[in-house]
Amino acid sequence: MKMMLDEGSRLKTIINIVVLSAALYGVSTRNVDVRETTIFEGMLLDTLAPLQRGVSSIHQRVVSVIDHYVLNVAASKENVQLKRDIDELRNQLFSMDQTIKENERLKKLLRFGENIKRKKILAQIVGWDASSDFRVLRINKGASDGIKLQSTVVTSEGVVGYIYRMSDNFADILTILDPINRVDVLIDRTRSNGILEGFSGWRCLMKYVTRTDPVRLNDMVVTSGLGNIYPKGLKVGQVAKVERESYGITQYIEVEPSVDFSKLEEVVVLVADDDMKKRLEWKALDESEAE
Amino acid sequence: MRVNSIEILPSLFITILILFVLEVISVSILPIFGLVNYMIPFNVLIILFLGFKIESPYLALMIVAVQYSHAIFTIEGWEMGTIAGVIICVIISYLRDLLHFSSSILTIITTQVFQFFWFIITSSLLYLKLSDFDYIIQKFWRFLPESIVLSLMAPLFFSLFDKVWRVRDEGLMGE
Repeated sequence: MKMMLDEGSRLKTIINIVVLSAALYGVSTRNVDVRETTIFEGMLLDTLAPLQRGVSSIHQRVVSVIDHYVLNVAASKENVQLKRDIDELRNQLFSMDQTIKENERLKKLLRFGENIKRKKILAQIVGWDASSDFRVLRINKGASDGIKLQSTVVTSEGVVGYIYRMSDNFADILTILDPINRVDVLIDRTRSNGILEGFSGWRCLMKYVTRTDPVRLNDMVVTSGLGNIYPKGLKVGQVAKVERESYGITQYIEVEPSVDFSKLEEVVVLVADDDMKKRLEWKALDESEAE
Repeated sequence: MRVNSIEILPSLFITILILFVLEVISVSILPIFGLVNYMIPFNVLIILFLGFKIESPYLALMIVAVQYSHAIFTIEGWEMGTIAGVIICVIISYLRDLLHFSSSILTIITTQVFQFFWFIITSSLLYLKLSDFDYIIQKFWRFLPESIVLSLMAPLFFSLFDKVWRVRDEGLMGE
C-alpha cells in the first residue's frame, strides 16, 4: 500500500515538473504580436463563438419579451390586447428605427477611408475577452471571409486595433486599449512621433515624445504608418492629459481614443496584400524622413 | 478525495462543459450591461476546486485541460494560469489538514486567500514579461472586486462541482 502511495506521489511530481516546464517554456517563447491558432483551437473557436452570438441574441429577445409582454399580464383583457397592438407597432417601429440607424452606421463605415486602398470587410462584435487583463474583441468574420492576421480594424471614428488571432469564421481584435498593443503614432499638429500603448480603462499612453515638443490638450493623434500594421493618417484619439517635468527626456501624455469602445457594434477590417503593406510602409518611412 | 483515473475523464468533461457555459455567459452577457472592465475568472474557481478537493497524480494535466479550454475565450493563453494552478495545488497539498469547508464562510475565506496567491504568481510572471509595475497595480484594482464576487459564488459552485465529481460531504478536505 505504502509502495503504491510512493509511486503515486512520484508520478504526481513528474507530471507537475513536466507541465510546469512546458508552461514556462510556453510563456517565455510566446509571441506577443500575433497568435497562430492550431487546427484544434480553430475548431473549438468556430464551435463556441456562434454560441456567444446566440446567447447575446437570446438575451436581447428575452429582455424584449419581458419588457413588452410579461409586464402587461396584470392589465385588463382589453388593455392587454390594445397594449399588445401598440407594443407590436412599437416593436416594428423600433426595429425599423434600428434598421435605419444600422444602415446609417454601415454607410458611414463604408464611406470611411474611401481613399484607403485596402479590401474592406464589415464585421460585427460578438464578445469580449474572458480575462479582464486583456482588451480584446471577438468579431463574426474570419479567414474564410478573407481576413488576415495583423489586418487593421477601424470604425468611422478611428482605429480600433488589429487582428491578433483568428479561425475560419471568427477573429479576435487586439484593441489599442490593450497594453501589449503598441501603435506608432504622430501628433497631427506638431508631427511629434511616439508609441501609443493601452493604459487604464478607456485611455492610452503616448510614450517617447520629447519633452521639448509643444504638445497641447486636444491635439489630434494619428497613425504614422510605420510598424507594418496600420495605414498612415488614421485618427487614433485626442490628447487628454499632458505632464511635463523640468527634468527628463520625455513627457507624460494620456490619449482619449476617438472610438467609443463601450458602444462598439460594427467594425471594418482593412485587409492589404503583403506587397501593398510593404509598399505603404516604405512610403510612410520616406514621408517621415522628408518631414 | 482520492479519485480513480477512470472516474476523472467524465467528471472533467462535464466540468469543462460547465466552464464553457459560464465563459460564454461571461463574455457575451456582461458586456451588454457595460461590465467590460471586469470579467469573472471561472477557470480560477474550477482549478481551486480541483486543488482543494481532488487528490490525483494527474491533477496538473486536469489544470492544463481547464486552462486550455479557458484559452479559447481569451488571448491570455493556457501557460500562465497552468503555472499558477500547479504551484497553488502543491501549496494546498501541504496545507490540506488545515483547510476546512464546513461552512460557507470558511469556503469564501479560503477561496479568497488562494485567489490572492494566484494573483501574486500571475502578477510576478506578468512583471517578468512586461516590466511594468503600473500594469500590476491596475490589475490589482480589477482583481479585488472580481475575486470577491468569485469567492461569494464559491459555496454554490463548489456544491455543484461536489456533485459532478461525487465528492462526499465530509467537511474536512483530503480525507
